[in-house]
Amino acid sequence: MRRGWVIDLEKCIGCRSCMVACKQHNAGPRGTWWNRVFTPGSSEHMIPSPQGKEYFLPVTCQHCKNAPCVRACPVDATYHQSDNSVLIDYDRCIGCRCCVTACPYGVRQFNWEDPEKIHAREEQSVPDYRYGYPREFYKDGRLVYMPVRYKGITEKCHFCVHYQEEGLDPACVRCCPGNARYVGDLDDPMSEVSRLIRDRDGFTLIPEKGTDPSCYYLPPKRKNSIEDGAEEGAENGANHE
Amino acid sequence: MELIMSKKYKTSLIISFLLMVIALILWAVQIHYGLILTNLSNLFSWGFYISGLAFFVGNAAGGLVLSASIYMLGLKELKAFARLGALSAFACVTGAMLIVLPDIGQPLRLLNLLLHPQFLSPLIWDVIVLNCYTLLTLTYFYILILPDLTGKLSFLAPKKISDPKAFSEKWARRLSPLALFSAASIHIVTAWIFSTQGSREWWFTAILAPDFLSVAVFAGTTVVLLASALLYGTGEEHTAAYKIMVKIILGALILHLFFMYNEIFIKSWYHAESALHVLKILFQDYLWLHLIEVIFPVVAVYLLFKESVLQSQKKLVATTILLLLGVFAHRYLLMPGAYNAVPLSFLPLGQQAIGPAWSYPIALGRSAANGDLFSAHWAYYPSLVEVGIFIGICAYVFFFIACVCKLLPVLTPTAAAAATTTTTTTTITKSAQ
Ligand code: SF4
Ligand code: SF4
Repeated sequence: MRRGWVIDLEKCIGCRSCMVACKQHNAGPRGTWWNRVFTPGSSEHMIPSPQGKEYFLPVTCQHCKNAPCVRACPVDATYHQSDNSVLIDYDRCIGCRCCVTACPYGVRQFNWEDPEKIHAREEQSVPDYRYGYPREFYKDGRLVYMPVRYKGITEKCHFCVHYQEEGLDPACVRCCPGNARYVGDLDDPMSEVSRLIRDRDGFTLIPEKGTDPSCYYLPPKRKNSIEDGAEEGAENGANHE
Repeated sequence: MELIMSKKYKTSLIISFLLMVIALILWAVQIHYGLILTNLSNLFSWGFYISGLAFFVGNAAGGLVLSASIYMLGLKELKAFARLGALSAFACVTGAMLIVLPDIGQPLRLLNLLLHPQFLSPLIWDVIVLNCYTLLTLTYFYILILPDLTGKLSFLAPKKISDPKAFSEKWARRLSPLALFSAASIHIVTAWIFSTQGSREWWFTAILAPDFLSVAVFAGTTVVLLASALLYGTGEEHTAAYKIMVKIILGALILHLFFMYNEIFIKSWYHAESALHVLKILFQDYLWLHLIEVIFPVVAVYLLFKESVLQSQKKLVATTILLLLGVFAHRYLLMPGAYNAVPLSFLPLGQQAIGPAWSYPIALGRSAANGDLFSAHWAYYPSLVEVGIFIGICAYVFFFIACVCKLLPVLTPTAAAAATTTTTTTTITKSAQ
């Protein structure tokens, strides 16, 4: 079993619901985002760059099969689970940030200060209210989720491991209003995710880094078509629609 | 050499001690508030401390260079400096381990390095080789000072050895290949921490480990030269040895400049956008620092070839410090090129023919000065806490060397140098006993 994602860029409307759901469900501290959605080519989300076409790209931990973060971690705090997803043992992490440097996708988030201190400081926060899954979650005896993180440790997407036993899909998959996200077994050629990758030319991000990600993207359809002429593509790239 | 008795010596000890205390307090404060007190962010996750690691590891090469020169190349003139070399190596390598501590988010969990080592991680290898090197330099230093552990210090000497001088000589010679090997290993493995990071174009190159070695040879020798200038002074009798050290520094510096520009040349020749991005950081954003990393050492070495510099303690100290500043600039420049070139950069779909590559913004984990929570660029500069702790470690290295020189017979010239023993040395020897 290799748990993987497929994200259909044709269907993604860039609403950032998955960003918010992820942060909500996983009690993301202020400034920490396991999941991001941006508009490639543009510095402002939802505003296409003058030369390009608009599409949206959600990026979270790619749960790489050849994960540089796992190799770099000196204490085996970051490790591969049996389904290939990459988890962090919050009780083990020493906060050296080797993995933050190793990850090419910029998904690893460090707790630069005590999240509780931020909570106490925030004007809007209600003193005793905490959002997110409220209990600690252990997998194989290792602390892979905690609602209030220690300061000085690294965190990132854990494939919603705390929902897996209840048979629930990750929060980002369930919340997506465009149904753009799929989750399934990449090892099984008959699974929906494998079929989508096959039929729709699924691709991975920066494959040249050799990380073998478990997150595949389906290209938006209009980008696939070259009917309007490949030769003039270079000059007319900005306005061919 | 008079320095060791002077008022200046005492004041410098007091000042460096205070700097150490300040650093310790700063670290305690940082443990309390978290690494938010540094100017690092998720985008730029290693900074001054890790530059400091590379800096001190490099400086720890002095012992290796001297022992190898003495016992493998037969440069007898350097023998009087072997003890100081081993001592400075010990001080620098422990300084290197100390400066990593404040970079660790959960210092109380450091034991995990022993309990759950993950042997694919270059950081684990570095922990191992740095510790081995520390033990080895300590042993080496002990063997070197053995013949002079007499009088009040005789309790430190083993009783069984009948001829400590011959014993020391024999074992110093026997251990020198091992010292050479383990010294090389700390530079290579420290370089691997960076050069195994395939996501960072700036580091992911096979030249990094050889370059670390070359930097270590000239930085380590410079540290010994600086310590000698401070503790032995610049009497005539030392000039021959200093000249050899300067030659070693020159050779290694040339090698380093070759390695560095060779890498830059190849990157710029191929003209890939990702490589050009890295070079742009070096030659546009940090041009001033790049000039420092090159010009300071080159000018310093030029000055070191002047008799007048070698014979004036003030000038010699200033010149070696100039060189070390250049080395630190070089270590500092490890970081921006690695972090401000976000690895997740690509040509957006449909824009492949137009470019340029676009970098995916990273959640910073703290707000930037302009309020941004996501960014593909982080203008890092060290915070006062980072600088304070770094200075404290420098002070520790100085303090440690200066104290040990006072307590143990480090500066007592033996054998080869005995012929040139001056009256001042005798005074010191007497006062040390
Ligand atoms: S995306 Fe980054 S954090 Fe996730 S598995 Fe890959 S390298 Fe590790
Ligand atoms: S920060 Fe934690 S998870 Fe990351 S490499 Fe260090 S110990 Fe491992």
